Amino acid sequence: MFATKNEYDRGVNTFSPEGRLFQVEYALEAIKLGSTSIGITCQDGVVLAVERRVTSKLIEPSSIEKIFEIDSHVGCAMSGILADARTLVDHARAEAQNHRFTYLEEMLLQSIAQSVCDLSLNFGEGDGSQKKPMSRPYGVSLLIGGVDKNGPALFTTDPSGTLFKYKAKAIGSAAEGAQTMLQEEFKTDLSLEDGVKMALRILKQVMEEAITSQNVEVAVVSTQDKIFRRLTPSGVEEYLTSL
Amino acid sequence: MVKESKQSQFNPYQNNGGTVAAVALGGRVAVGGDTRISVGYNIISRNYCKITQLTSKAVIASSGMVTDAQNLHKLLLARITLYKHQHGTEPSLKALSKLLSITLYSRRFFPFYTFNLLAGLNEEGQGAVYGYDAIGSFDELKYGVQGTGQELCMSVLDNQCKGANRTDDYTFTQDPVELIRDVFTSCAERDIYTGDAVTVWDITAEGIQQTSIPLRRD
Repeated sequence: MFATKNEYDRGVNTFSPEGRLFQVEYALEAIKLGSTSIGITCQDGVVLAVERRVTSKLIEPSSIEKIFEIDSHVGCAMSGILADARTLVDHARAEAQNHRFTYLEEMLLQSIAQSVCDLSLNFGEGDGSQKKPMSRPYGVSLLIGGVDKNGPALFTTDPSGTLFKYKAKAIGSAAEGAQTMLQEEFKTDLSLEDGVKMALRILKQVMEEAITSQNVEVAVVSTQDKIFRRLTPSGVEEYLTSL
Repeated sequence: MVKESKQSQFNPYQNNGGTVAAVALGGRVAVGGDTRISVGYNIISRNYCKITQLTSKAVIASSGMVTDAQNLHKLLLARITLYKHQHGTEPSLKALSKLLSITLYSRRFFPFYTFNLLAGLNEEGQGAVYGYDAIGSFDELKYGVQGTGQELCMSVLDNQCKGANRTDDYTFTQDPVELIRDVFTSCAERDIYTGDAVTVWDITAEGIQQTSIPLRRD
């Protein structure tokens, strides 16, 4: 894949003669190492579900956090480098609050996702006029899901700053398999309940370890109250037994 | 002998006079402003419009210092254009109300010398008026008036819109455009800074209609 790199992958902002930015492409590879995350838009809300990789029996599973609240109406699931995700999420949170402060209204999901993308591609040396930017691309992809005045919506961002709106999307190591399953199973008239079940069913199939309420994390935003909610382990357990 | 030092203080402010008023009734709001600009006892202009359209269903009306008002209106229009590009839609009246507030408060220690009314239709299609002080404190109202004719107009609006100081069983059903014309005609009789003409903007779901009638020119 990288046969013709010829050292064009050293500088983060140097194009190769074929017109590629290798460092960005490497960052996209980092996401493929990350745990799988799934987002599904339903008729009455959005589901975010991620796999927690508990690498040791001594890890406290609840300390692994891969779904974040951005604002009361928006959540975000990540895959890739967790610390990079936190930087982007912090930025998105600040933007969302700034919007609330300036306009007395919740920020649109599209605008939140766009603000993350604006930061995503802001890496390299910087021109010294502003805060020093990140020296390398962010090695993380986000699934930003929630409900705004236009209804439920799901967006993805990646290290290249590309933004897409999806009905259902999987990212991370098992993204390919999970995406195929989403493509087969997705219906536009899904209820939120069915969405959670579908996300867990797909995670169950693509995860290497057996799925438990401890090694997955699920959050939903319902159109009813537009509030981001994390499912408790016992709540997840209920869904798992019904699978 | 100590030399007496004389220093004239720099005063960047000036009140150019004039009155603006707005009345909301159901899915409609009427905003009026006289067209006179004064400096002291001199009339500088007889046909200056104190009202600017901000979005398809919101306008701002300002009295106070004309140069500050022009600057504020242009600043708001620029911010609104940015909002449209960023979020793909026009800002709502509520969003504008806070935007104007923080714009004014950002100049807390060198304020725009403007007294503003923001009027339009909210997201439910209902007419609404927002009244401001010079540094951004604001409140949602059913009717409001700002400027040199404020005291003359307000008690009449209280009586006509709210039914204040009445003994009869009264509900406000009058045409708000007519009411604003009457209030300005009366105001121009007593306030020397209000006159020449009154422009009334009638905002409904169908759009914004502008009409103008003459007032006293002395």
